[in-house]
Amino acid sequence: MRVFRFLDARYEAGEARLVYAFDGGPELTESLRFPGAPAVPPERAEAFERALALTHWIAGVSYYKAFAPARIECATAPPDPAVAAALERIYVEGLAEFSFRNGIDLRGRVRFPSAQGSGPRPSLSLPRRTLLPLGGGKDSLVALEMLREVGEPLLPVWVGRSALIEACAERAGLPAINVDRQIAPELFELNRQGALNGHVPVTAIHSAIMVLVALLYGADAIAFANERSADLPTRVIEGRGVNHQWSKSLDFERLFRTMLGGWIGAGIEYFSLLRPFSELAVAARFSRMRRYFDVFSSCNRNFRILGTRPASRWCGECPKCHFVYLAMAPFLPKPELAAVFGRNLLDEESLIPAYAALAGIAGERPFECVGEPVEVRAALAALAEQAAWREDAVIAAARRWLERLPPPPSLGELLRPSGPHHLPSRLESLLDAPH
Amino acid sequence: MSARPVVLKFGGTSVASAERWVEIGRIARARLGEGRPVLIVVSALAGITNALLAAMRDPKPGQALPELLKPHHELRRALRLSDGAEWEAAVERLRSLAAEASDSLAWQAEWLAQGELLSSRIGADWLARELGRCRFVDAREFLIAQPIPNQSERASRLSALCEVRPQPERRERLFGTGPLAITQGFIAAHPEGGTALLGRGGSDTSASLFGALLQAERVEIWTDVAGMFSANPREVPEARLLRELDYEEAQEIASTGAKVLHPRCLDPLKEAAVPLYVFDTARPELPGTRIGTSPPRPGVKAISARHRVTLVSMETIGMWQQVGFLAAVFDIFRRHGLSVDLIGSAETNVTVSLDPTENLLEPGTIEALCKDLASVCRVKVIAPCTAISLVGRGIRSWMHRLSELMRLIGERRVHLVSQSSNDLNLTFVVDEADAGDLVPRLHELLLRFGLLEDDGAVFGPSWKSLYGGAASVVRREWWREWRERLLEEAALGTPVYVYDLATARARARELRSLAGLDRLLYAVKANAHPALIAAFAEEGLGFECVSAGELKRLAAALPGLDFERVLFTPSFGEEADFALARRLGARITIDDLGPLRRWPELFRGQSLFLRIDLGRGVGHHEKVRTGGSGSKFGMTPAELGEAERACRELGATIEGLHAHLGSGIFDPDHWREVGAQLASLADRLPAVRILDLGGGLGVPSRPAEPGLDLGALSAALSELSRLYPRFRFWLEPGRYLVAEAGVLLARVRGLKRKQSQVFLGLDAGMHTLLRPALYDAYHPVWNLSRLDEPASMRAHLVGPICESGDILARHRALPETAPGDVILIGLAGAYGAAMASRYNLQPLPREVAW
Repeated sequence: MRVFRFLDARYEAGEARLVYAFDGGPELTESLRFPGAPAVPPERAEAFERALALTHWIAGVSYYKAFAPARIECATAPPDPAVAAALERIYVEGLAEFSFRNGIDLRGRVRFPSAQGSGPRPSLSLPRRTLLPLGGGKDSLVALEMLREVGEPLLPVWVGRSALIEACAERAGLPAINVDRQIAPELFELNRQGALNGHVPVTAIHSAIMVLVALLYGADAIAFANERSADLPTRVIEGRGVNHQWSKSLDFERLFRTMLGGWIGAGIEYFSLLRPFSELAVAARFSRMRRYFDVFSSCNRNFRILGTRPASRWCGECPKCHFVYLAMAPFLPKPELAAVFGRNLLDEESLIPAYAALAGIAGERPFECVGEPVEVRAALAALAEQAAWREDAVIAAARRWLERLPPPPSLGELLRPSGPHHLPSRLESLLDAPH
Repeated sequence: MSARPVVLKFGGTSVASAERWVEIGRIARARLGEGRPVLIVVSALAGITNALLAAMRDPKPGQALPELLKPHHELRRALRLSDGAEWEAAVERLRSLAAEASDSLAWQAEWLAQGELLSSRIGADWLARELGRCRFVDAREFLIAQPIPNQSERASRLSALCEVRPQPERRERLFGTGPLAITQGFIAAHPEGGTALLGRGGSDTSASLFGALLQAERVEIWTDVAGMFSANPREVPEARLLRELDYEEAQEIASTGAKVLHPRCLDPLKEAAVPLYVFDTARPELPGTRIGTSPPRPGVKAISARHRVTLVSMETIGMWQQVGFLAAVFDIFRRHGLSVDLIGSAETNVTVSLDPTENLLEPGTIEALCKDLASVCRVKVIAPCTAISLVGRGIRSWMHRLSELMRLIGERRVHLVSQSSNDLNLTFVVDEADAGDLVPRLHELLLRFGLLEDDGAVFGPSWKSLYGGAASVVRREWWREWRERLLEEAALGTPVYVYDLATARARARELRSLAGLDRLLYAVKANAHPALIAAFAEEGLGFECVSAGELKRLAAALPGLDFERVLFTPSFGEEADFALARRLGARITIDDLGPLRRWPELFRGQSLFLRIDLGRGVGHHEKVRTGGSGSKFGMTPAELGEAERACRELGATIEGLHAHLGSGIFDPDHWREVGAQLASLADRLPAVRILDLGGGLGVPSRPAEPGLDLGALSAALSELSRLYPRFRFWLEPGRYLVAEAGVLLARVRGLKRKQSQVFLGLDAGMHTLLRPALYDAYHPVWNLSRLDEPASMRAHLVGPICESGDILARHRALPETAPGDVILIGLAGAYGAAMASRYNLQPLPREVAW
């Protein structure tokens, strides 16, 4: 395959169809369905068309990667040079883990065609309302509850089928929108025939879809729930940081905000509500939200498994499970936390190496969205001081590691909001609230 | 009036609708018809006590009055009762209490008592109209709470205790004016005046207090289920109704998890030797549970589980055997308001269990407790745990019959074992993660070993057969219509297996109609008879083979078969086997990576299935993972990466994942869970498009037992295919398709008596049907020669093989059976002839397909 082609993107009666192809091969059509979507208001029609094009380009990354050819062509109107440059970054950085795993260097290989744009975009006028993409994990639920507390009008949205997110949305008790996303079935066929496969920047794709939702249903803000830990490369390979969660990073957030302003127009705030918070701060808040305990999961392995038994929500084997358990432990009575997970991960001897890796003591930091080693150490240190935890296998081991290291910062320090963020001024009061 | 009365107690849902009151009237009339006075004890209408509680917490309880009164007015209207002075006085009392709202506990108790006072007033009015006369009795005239030293004021008002001794003379005060009276549950008089409440489960306690006081004939608790069961029916639908228990057993079952009765309500009755019955108001014809002083019948009666148990393990630091160590430890628990349940102790360790009370889950409690304990010992908190109890009188003398259960429990990490000297229960505390299916599996073992079998004296029908709904349609056995022809067949020579192809086809069609199922494979190993194979091919089924022999059998039975429909899943297959499968064009399952490495050329460029052992690495404790299943099948999910690499190197595609976890499964969620687990594993394998969920579909072995709920299975499969549109889902049942289609006919050669045991010697034995000896399987039996005669003897059915295990069936009820009679052994279509051997150089059985 030599050329990846953007063939067509159109929206009709609640369904967007994004069409791609390789060389002269068959069309690959991705479909997005927006349930009960109102007609696009005329004053937003042009912005919507441009957002659709943006979604087409960004969602193309899932297909492009099948063969990662050296040429990209647009049968539709191409992006302007600024957007083309941004798209190239999204493809290269978003596929960094993919390229590492498949041994393909995409730097300089991804080249989007472009054409001069028509100058600055007019500002949009949208009703005050915040879209809240739900992920089925604790983060977006924490964001939702923080916004609900300050009385922000909210519209939870999730993409794709997920019984778990459905259950969380139901528990939240707010009207929500579920965008149905169907990846072109031919892509699976290509995969069967040996096409390349790997991690894609899902949050980038969802960000573009959220812009469509904001314009369709009316919302002036999109609040993701990405934390500052997403800014850290998960591994450094040959001097280059590989970030498994790059599309959740501040770097992507900045890029997307610039793209949004330049390509669609001012009037939609795009930000991550949790950016100034550590994973620990989020876990501390979540540990007070008991109403979600029997439905939620942050586990990626069991992501779509149904069931009320803890074992069907938490696999207990992946780094995500390990981290979330540890991060909540300082903030919940031990019997209660153990009941949420259905087992006590900190008392399983076989998990000592996994926690050592999370703490940055030994082994490699896992390719998953987990907290920073310093947070892990701080949580371990806090538990080592608690009589109810100190004899557990992992904590007993951690006591030995911690002796050899400089003392980690206190939990209190890690709970304080800090660092750059793009919270709109109307929500900045959240930074002063007690954790 | 001196006849012993009957006390009937009806709960909140039983008094909340007009239809239920009609039923109450019917029951009361029937008891009166026995010539006994009747006292009815009622709860408040469903939901009212909670509403009173909520209103009480509001600064202005009066605002809730319209909502509180509405259900009562509606009930009165439905019962066509006109409002008399007494009703108006009751409503007025509620109003004036609302107006006098205060924080005092006396007021709270009085306020909360109004629900029962209102419901009993409605009942009195209605019963008086329907049955002539009904005396309204204020329970507080009869039940007076007992002051207890050190009792808090709150407890004395809101969770008071009563003690009564039999005073039959007080019957006169109740029934002096007529044989029917009604009173309130839950409430009593406070010794210092006003009202006291009896706490949770208080209405049952009231009924038993009245029963004891009046020295009643019996107390009947009418509720929403027919009694106590051998396990929680929500977890174990096969749980058996317990028809008869003694007080201590019932109390133990109630305290270890059963919710039907409050354990506290049995004490007063035990003292007074009044029996208690539990019945289902909606199904009054069901037998119910009787609790009394029956002679002790040793054995396991029930299995219960309490989850979210927390253990505190205390390792001594040199203080053991010092006077006061345990006292100091328990004092710390007392100070933190935690009540210890189970205790296990050794020379250097004491471990106790705590139930998940609100107090335990209060932030800070457990940490504060552990800090204090740490001053006298090394403390470790173990959670979450599950306490599994085997309950029954004399359990110690039954230990030897529980060895299989012990083995199953022993595969888990057992933190604590407890058995008290009253010998009523044996409790194991294990990790909650390991306890998931333990209760159902233990219960299944009890059933399989016949430990829940008697003549119906204790163990009644299963919950599923009573409440299982539409799914519990019992199929009529096909062979009943063919008795003459079967006897003729037997005359040609026994033992003989007879297969009914129509029944096999019917099962196949049922499964083919499951929504969400892409393909159904018949597991040929269950029965490789060519006629069955041909019938299933015609029904559109594919096949699953495990050996070259089975592949050849298919090729012979079905000339021209497209082997694309065949999946070959050998265990330690040989090169020649794989070569044959490949030559025929069958799909191949790889059970381990050995064949790929040894014979790479055989697999180059092929599409393959991988067999996954989900029993490992899925949420269980390490000990289960290594020692538990001990299964030789499949590869662990951890090996998938390596398998994928190996396949890629050979240019082979992984087109399917396959898992088969067990057999005899009745819970449709099992396949949903297997599907979801396979799907999440396949996330990493983009070429996979088929998920084979295995078989194991359960076949009921007892006549009254309902079968697998196909509607629920269909729903589970369609949910899978909705959630995971990328995959096609396959099933590969064997036994389910053919078990019922086959019977084994054998002739009685002789009859032998040894003391009370009767042995019927057959010409069929373990060499003919191995399942009873191999799996302790239960097969129903009939005397085909005397099908219409009543059962009059119990016998063991044994074969001619020189093995003590050559027993086909134990303790079966049969008509008077004589040598020469033909015995029909049911459910023999699967793994019967297929496993037959020539052991002892006995001949193989004949096989006939109709």
